[in-house]
Amino acid sequence: MIFLASFIQCLFLGMGFNNGIPEEGLKNSFILDSIGEILPLDTVELVPVEVFSPSLEKYTYGQLVRRMKDDDLESFQGLSLSDYLQQRTGLFLRQYGAGMLASLTMRGTSAGHNAVFWNGLPINSPSLGQTDFSILPIGGFDELYLHFGSGGALYGTDAIGGAVHLNSKLKFGQGHGLQLGTHAGSFGRWNQQVQYGFSSEKISLRTRVYKNVAQNDFLFRNIAKPGTPIERQEHAAFQQTGISQDLAFQLSSDQLLSSSLWYNQTEREIQPVIGSNTLDEQIDRNLRWVMDYFKFIGKATWNFKTGLLKDHLIFNGSQNSTMQLFLIGDLDWEISPGISSKSGIRYTHIQGKLSTYSAQEDRLELYQSTNLSLSEDLHVSINLRQFIYEGNFAPFTPSLGMDWLILSNKGQELKFNTNGARSFKVPTLNDRFWEPGGNPDLAPESSWNAELGVSHIWRRGSLMLNQRLTHYQMWVNNWIIWLPKGSIWSPENIREVHNKGLEYFLDADYKMENWTFELQGNYNWTSAINQSEITDNDRSAGNQLPYTPVHKFQTLLGIKRGIWNTYVNYQFTGSRFVGTDNQDIIPSFQLWDWGIRMREIETTWIKGSIGIQINNIMNTSYQVMRLRAMPGRNYQINIQIKL
Amino acid sequence: MRKFNQTVLVILILFGILSCVEEGQQIPLGEFEKGVLVINEGAFGVNDGEIYHYDPITGLIKSNIFEGKNRRPFAGLIQDMVEAEGRLYLVANTGKVEVVDPRDFLSKGAVVEGLDISRSIVTTNQKLFIADWGPYDANFNSPNSYVAVVDDLDGGGITKKIPVSSRPEKMFVSGNQIFVATTAGKKLEVISLDSETITSFQDLEGSPGGFFELLGTLILYAYDAEMVYFHQIDKTTGNIQGVLPVGLKWATSNFTLSEDGEMLIITSTGWPDYNDAIARVSIVNRQVLNEAIFTGSGFYGIGYHPGLKEIYVGDNNGFQGNGTVIVLDQNGQQKKSFAVGRGPSGFLVKE
Repeated sequence: MIFLASFIQCLFLGMGFNNGIPEEGLKNSFILDSIGEILPLDTVELVPVEVFSPSLEKYTYGQLVRRMKDDDLESFQGLSLSDYLQQRTGLFLRQYGAGMLASLTMRGTSAGHNAVFWNGLPINSPSLGQTDFSILPIGGFDELYLHFGSGGALYGTDAIGGAVHLNSKLKFGQGHGLQLGTHAGSFGRWNQQVQYGFSSEKISLRTRVYKNVAQNDFLFRNIAKPGTPIERQEHAAFQQTGISQDLAFQLSSDQLLSSSLWYNQTEREIQPVIGSNTLDEQIDRNLRWVMDYFKFIGKATWNFKTGLLKDHLIFNGSQNSTMQLFLIGDLDWEISPGISSKSGIRYTHIQGKLSTYSAQEDRLELYQSTNLSLSEDLHVSINLRQFIYEGNFAPFTPSLGMDWLILSNKGQELKFNTNGARSFKVPTLNDRFWEPGGNPDLAPESSWNAELGVSHIWRRGSLMLNQRLTHYQMWVNNWIIWLPKGSIWSPENIREVHNKGLEYFLDADYKMENWTFELQGNYNWTSAINQSEITDNDRSAGNQLPYTPVHKFQTLLGIKRGIWNTYVNYQFTGSRFVGTDNQDIIPSFQLWDWGIRMREIETTWIKGSIGIQINNIMNTSYQVMRLRAMPGRNYQINIQIKL
Repeated sequence: MRKFNQTVLVILILFGILSCVEEGQQIPLGEFEKGVLVINEGAFGVNDGEIYHYDPITGLIKSNIFEGKNRRPFAGLIQDMVEAEGRLYLVANTGKVEVVDPRDFLSKGAVVEGLDISRSIVTTNQKLFIADWGPYDANFNSPNSYVAVVDDLDGGGITKKIPVSSRPEKMFVSGNQIFVATTAGKKLEVISLDSETITSFQDLEGSPGGFFELLGTLILYAYDAEMVYFHQIDKTTGNIQGVLPVGLKWATSNFTLSEDGEMLIITSTGWPDYNDAIARVSIVNRQVLNEAIFTGSGFYGIGYHPGLKEIYVGDNNGFQGNGTVIVLDQNGQQKKSFAVGRGPSGFLVKE
């Protein structure tokens, strides 16, 4: 019911209502603040109303979709999404050095087994099949959602282990606003961001410009040299610039048009492996544009979306470009109080001009999502999707999920969640067309996922505790592996993997007079066991997949008082195997971070905040990937000013 | 009494001499002075090259002996391993040469600055000469290849770079000259040790795989898709005196000498079929004796133990994990296999 209620609320918001109060009500001398308390107003002001966007959680009964806290994102302004996810979640990213390529693994799957969306557009590269999380700056979006587990029926290709959603979020009724952000830190890090926005009751505009640079010349122990001297990292500098433009226009009380544009360019010296002297360089240019049209008719919402993604990657002068054009239409409507439905179609045209081949492809997806409220306590989501690419049918992907509220009273709430889903990943353009070695006969990778979870909310006085435990099992087959065929590497559908694991999340708050104590915790136990052997001499069956830690734990203890906020963050990443035969191991590591922030410093004209962070307090020497040096203790200062 | 004293003195001297002799005989062999050293090249981007030691008598395998003895990883892709001047040189194509004591593998030094893509090494005149492809250009060609000179057998800084044609691979020291075979240039070049410059060059048939001596003749093995070529080289002048071609399809650079003027060559059809085999070729008779004494895929290195008459074949297992060494008898029948490191690419047999 909570989801249905939020959906209905969103519909109202989209139609110019705020928490159920008609527009004309906004002109009265009372408004609702963010926690629903009625506050008197001395003067009439414009009221912030969020621009409507479809709920990502609506058809996900039985699954877990987490929205990451805005406060957390704010303290990572200018840093990369990979840094944030590695430090503040139980997810593991394969980081090939500081600021270098970072790929996400969810539930023990590989880099390309998670879908990444920006404002509803899938942004995984069609040629590489994955996203480099190190070139997604936190300041480039407003909201971050993580969907844990199989999402093929909801999102299409790639969402085998989960999905990541990056969204822009505009508001109406805020007038003019200028924000300046600066972030300086060790190793030549200097990030600058300027944002100007204007919004009235009908229109909202925002422009952001940013520039992030880092010399990345941290000290590390060069274990490749006799005597293992301490040296300064060379050839790891990067520079990132970008601009984004968001627009929302309330065409009428039942029509909304929104558009976002994001251009991001990252130039990097590729940090060499310890003991190597490579001087590789990479430039990534990404242009993303999306436009949504919403039409609200009674309890139905029509959404027509179009978008364009252009990715240009230059590696040592070798040029690789892809372009994706999207046309999407769907209808989301509440059939009855207990039934809602979303039906849609997505067409994608892809063009790739890579260094060794050119290719184009058309994709068509039909999808249907249904929510059934069988009772007040029992809700079911059914999702179906059929994906067709160049006349080939990807595996039909259904999912069935359920939330069952077992116990609900003033003190606590207990809910069971269960979900079964199929997912798939279409072979990338490189998998099929790379010259030489591409294999056009590859089948899509396919998975079945089953999960069972329990979530518990407990309230006692000023203490609130929210936790969730999920156990999942996943079977992935036709997993694509590139293998050497003499001097040429070629991909094959060869691996089968059985993944299982536990995910635990904890959020706790305790308020004591002016003090607030906050505790966050994430723990992932991941077993990703290879079931297949490539050759007679292969010894990989029965072993954990490489670079997949069995354990990852992260916790943050925060204390707030007035405008002050301080925290200690701890993460433990378990040992990882280098190869499929589990012979060589990279040791586990533990990192401690500390930060303090002074928020909402306010004068007549400006508001601001300032924060200081010390990362890797213990100056731990560690590697995420073998022989990829990572920085020791480092310092950052972060200043935000709002005019 | 005097006689007695003289007798005692003689006995003492003899005892002393015998004691010295006995002590000399009791000096134990170094841990790695006998057996088979397996070069594991390592995986690109992981740089986990390592050396394993295999005792063919006991079957005992010691893994990661460089890291085990020196408490740090090799951290490179091992391209060549050469024993010379009482040292063992490990050449990484990631721009490094490690120098270790062949008895215990303890580090004696290294060349860590100034190299690019080092491929092989020779020693002479108390100097190191390191063949290096030089940096890649934008199209991954190697137009600035060189032979680097280091004036200390234990490594250190590079004192000179001798430009050679593209992609020098194997070298051979003969008198006051170094012969350099280049794979992209497809040339045999002669470096004078007096001037440390190229003094002559000749074109090669096929792509060079390596030098060896047979019955007093210096031979350079080369190959292409259809043939293998044995270039007979005058050790005094460096001139190619003749080329013996033998028809063998899909030969690779991987070969080892066996016995009776024969060699074993890994052949590979490559992509897409990727069928590998071990061919037996008589150099003396210029004929292929057996195109496939053993077949499979993933063959990455080959070695031969003359004492035990065993053939060692490195299987890279698709580079997904560590590799395997397959032990064959002289006829190509598999005797056993054992696990080694990533990408077993070569063997140094020490009898």
